[in-house]
Amino acid sequence: MDKEKLDELKIQLQQLLNEAQEFVQQIPPAQLCTAVGVVLFTVFLFTVMYYLLKHRSANTILLTGLSGSGKTVLFYQLRDGSCHQGSVTSTKPNEGRFLLHSEANKLQKGKMKHVHVVDVPGHSRLLAKLDEFLSRAAGIVFVVDSVEFLPHLRIASEYLYDILTNASVVKRKTPLLLLCNKIDRVTAHSMDFIRRQLEKEMTVLSSADTSDEHTLGVVGEAFAFSQCHNKVTTAEASGLTGDIYHLEQFISECVKP
Amino acid sequence: MLEQLLIFTRGGLILWTCKELGNALRGSPIDTLIRSCLLEERSGAASYNYDAPGCSYTLKWTFHNDLGLVFVAVYQRILHLLYVDDLLSMVKQEFSVIYDPKRTLYNDFDDIFQQLKKEAEARAEEMKESKQVSKPMNNNLARKQGNVQNGNMDGGNKKKSGGESRNDLDGENFKGHPLENGNLNNNHIGKGEATTIGKNNGKENGISNNGAFDVNKLQKLRSKGGKKTETVANKVSKEETKKTTKKNRVWDDSPKEAKLDFTDPGSENGEQHISVVSADQGESMMDKDEIVSSDNESESEDEETAKDNKIDGKKKGWFSSMFESIAGKANLEKSDLEPALKALKDRLMTKNVAEEIAEKLCESVAASLEGKKLASFTRISSTVQAAMEDALTRILTPRRSIDILRDVHAAKEQGKPYVVVFVGVNGVGKSTNLAKVAYWLQQHNVNVMMAACDTFRSGAVEQLRTHARRQQIPIFEKGYEKDPAIVAKEAIQEASRNGSDVVLVDTAGRMQDNEPLMRALSKLIYVNSPDLVLFVGEALVGNDAVDQLSKFNQKLGDLSPSPNPRLIDGILLTKFDTIDDKVGAALSMVYISGAPVMFVGCGQSYTDLKKLNVKSIVKTLLK
Repeated sequence: MDKEKLDELKIQLQQLLNEAQEFVQQIPPAQLCTAVGVVLFTVFLFTVMYYLLKHRSANTILLTGLSGSGKTVLFYQLRDGSCHQGSVTSTKPNEGRFLLHSEANKLQKGKMKHVHVVDVPGHSRLLAKLDEFLSRAAGIVFVVDSVEFLPHLRIASEYLYDILTNASVVKRKTPLLLLCNKIDRVTAHSMDFIRRQLEKEMTVLSSADTSDEHTLGVVGEAFAFSQCHNKVTTAEASGLTGDIYHLEQFISECVKP
Repeated sequence: MLEQLLIFTRGGLILWTCKELGNALRGSPIDTLIRSCLLEERSGAASYNYDAPGCSYTLKWTFHNDLGLVFVAVYQRILHLLYVDDLLSMVKQEFSVIYDPKRTLYNDFDDIFQQLKKEAEARAEEMKESKQVSKPMNNNLARKQGNVQNGNMDGGNKKKSGGESRNDLDGENFKGHPLENGNLNNNHIGKGEATTIGKNNGKENGISNNGAFDVNKLQKLRSKGGKKTETVANKVSKEETKKTTKKNRVWDDSPKEAKLDFTDPGSENGEQHISVVSADQGESMMDKDEIVSSDNESESEDEETAKDNKIDGKKKGWFSSMFESIAGKANLEKSDLEPALKALKDRLMTKNVAEEIAEKLCESVAASLEGKKLASFTRISSTVQAAMEDALTRILTPRRSIDILRDVHAAKEQGKPYVVVFVGVNGVGKSTNLAKVAYWLQQHNVNVMMAACDTFRSGAVEQLRTHARRQQIPIFEKGYEKDPAIVAKEAIQEASRNGSDVVLVDTAGRMQDNEPLMRALSKLIYVNSPDLVLFVGEALVGNDAVDQLSKFNQKLGDLSPSPNPRLIDGILLTKFDTIDDKVGAALSMVYISGAPVMFVGCGQSYTDLKKLNVKSIVKTLLK
C-alpha cells in the first residue's frame, strides 16, 4: 500500500517538474536573467550587511572606570598617539572607529582591523549610558586610577561588581582588563596591590548582595578574579606618557578572533 | 581681566585654551563646574562661583549643541566683567566656522580670539559710558546703582538684553532701590553654591517681569530681608527667658492640679504583663523588584502629538509644521523650544514639582537643545521630551551608592555601629518609617537598636518603645526633657557594648526656620558624627520642599562648629501611597539637595518600604 502511494507521489512530482520546465522555457531569457540577477543582488546585499553588522559588534572595546581615572586620555592615545591639550570630565561618550595609532605606523602585511572604541563617562549620574554599550562589547577595559585608589576603593569595586554581574557580560563571557592607569606618578600603587584590594572588597559585596541574579565567586570562599567565568587580566599603563602597550595587546587579542 | 577661556567637547577633550592668559588656574574649577552644575541640570544658571583656598573664580559658559562644544570663561570674582557673555557668543560663532571633528589643534584661533576680545572690551566700555550719560530727573542715583548692579547680576540672563531690564526698573522706581539692597544681602549671606545663585536668578526674573504679582513678591522679599535680623534678635531674647520654667495659670481659687502625667506608673516596669505578639508581616517591599510596564508609552505620545499640533498650528500652520518635521529644521531656536518647554513645565507643575525647580529644569534643557539640528521625521516636542527625560533620569540617578547593607557591613568590619539619624519637620513620619527601616534591616540579619532622642513630643518615647517591643529590638531611652545629643551619644556607646550593628536615632520634628531647634540638631550631628543623616520628607509637600531642604542644609552647614559640616546624605520619602501620580516632590527634593532618595514609605505597616524606581517616576512625571 505504501509503495503505491509513494509511486503516486513520484508521478505527481514528475508532472509538476515537467510543467515547471515548460513554464520556464516559455519566459524570454532576458526577463529570466534580470529576475535571477535581482534575487542574487538582494541576497548579496543582505549577506554584506549581516557581515558588516557582525563585524561591528565584534569589534567594540569599552573603556570604563570611575570619573577621573583617565579614560578620555587613553582614548586619544589609542587614536592619535597623543593626549593633545588635556581633558576634562566627560559628559558624553567618545566613540571612534579607527586603526590603533601604533599599528597604523607599522607596515603589516596582514589585514589590519579597525577597532571600535567607546569611552563611556564614569560619572555616577551617567551610569545609564554604560548599559547601552555593555551588550555589544567584545572586550571591556576597567581603568583604575593607581594614585587616588584607596579613597575611591568602595565605589570602584561596586562599579566593577555591577559590570561583572551584568547579564550580557556573564552570558557572552566578555574578557575584562583591569588597567591600572597613571603609573608614571611616584605615589602610584602597584598592580598586585590594587588587584588584591579589589578582590577583598568584592568578597564583601558578593556576600552582602541580595538582589542581583548573578553572583560572583564561590560562596564561603574569598573572591578571586580567576573564579569569574570570563577572563579577567590585570595590566599597567600610563595615559599621559603613552605607555599603553598592554592595553593595545589586549585590544588586538579581543578583536582578532 | 579674564583668567582663562577654554573650549572643549562634550566628550571631554580640550580643543583650545587661550595661551596669552597663561595663568594656571588654581584648584580644578572646570571639573567642579561640570560635576556640580552641568551634570546637575543647572546649566540654565547665569554663572557659577568656585571657591578654593587662595582663589575665588566666577565661571560663565555657553554651549554649541549642534557640534557638541562647550565654551567656558573663568575670571576672578571681585572683577565684574561685563563683556564676558558677549565675548563667549562671538567666540562660539567664530569657532564653529573653523571647527572640524577630526582636528584637535586650533592654533590659528589665537589671533581671532585676540581680536574678538578687543572688540568685546571696547563695546563694554561704550556701554558703560552710554549708561552714565542718560540721566532723568528723579531717582538718579537709585537707577544708576540699580543698573550697574542689575547688569552684574543679570549679566547672564539671556532672555533680556540690558536695555530691557533698565526699562523694567523704571516701572519699579522707588521699590527697586531697597530691593537691590535686599538682593545684595542675599548674595553675601548665601554661600557660593548653585542653589543660592539659582534663587537669585529666580528673584531677578521676578524683577524683570511686570505686573501686580511682582509687587507682592517685592514686598515679601523686602520683609524677608528684614525678618531675618528680627528673628535672630527675638530668638536670642527668647532663649534667655526660657530658663525660668513655666508656671501653670491659675484662674480662680481652684486647687492646684497635680502634674499632668497620666501614664500608668505600673506600665514602665510591667512589660511582662502585656503580651506582645512579635511582628512578622512577611517580606519587606524593599526586597521585591518592581516590574515597570512599558506598554502605555505609545498611547500617551499620540495624545501628546494631538495637543501639540494645536499649539503649533496656531503659530505656523499645519502644512509648514508637517513639512518641517519631515525635512528637519535647520537649527532649533529658543522661540521654537518655548511652547514645547512651557507645556512641559506646566505638566511638571501639575505633577506637584515645585515651580522654581520646574523653571530651572526647563532652562537647563533649553540650554542643552538650543542650536541643535532637528533630525528628520521628529517633532520638536518629541526632541524636547526626550531631552527632558534624559535630564530627569540623570537627576534622579543617585550620585553615590544607596545600598545601606554594604555600608553596614563595612562598619561592622571596623567594629563600630552604623548610626543613622532621622531628621525632618513635624509630622512627616519619622518614627513610623524608622520602625520600617528597622524591620527591613532585621530581615537581613542585622542587629538593630533604636535611640529615642525625641525628648520633646509627648508619647514619642512610648511610640518607639511599642515598635521596639513588637520587633524585639533593644531600645535606648532616657525619658523626656533630656538633651538629645547626650542621649544619642550614650545610645551609641551602649550599642557598641551590646554588639548592635546599627543605631537608628529618632529626633523631634522641627521647622526649618526655628533657629534654636536647628542649632540643637546640628549639635547632635556634630557631637555624634552619624554615618547617615536621613532627611524624612513627605510626598504631599509642594513648593515647601524646596524651602525645607535648602534651609535644613544651610542651617546644618552654618550652625555647625566644625569646618566640614555634615549635610543631608539621603532622603526618605514618606506617604507615597497618598499621592496618586503627583510624584513631583521626589524630583524637587533631589534637585535642591543633591541627596539621593534612599527609601520610599508607602503605607503604615512594617513592610511598606521600597526603593525609588527611577524609570517609573520619570515616566509618571512626563505622562
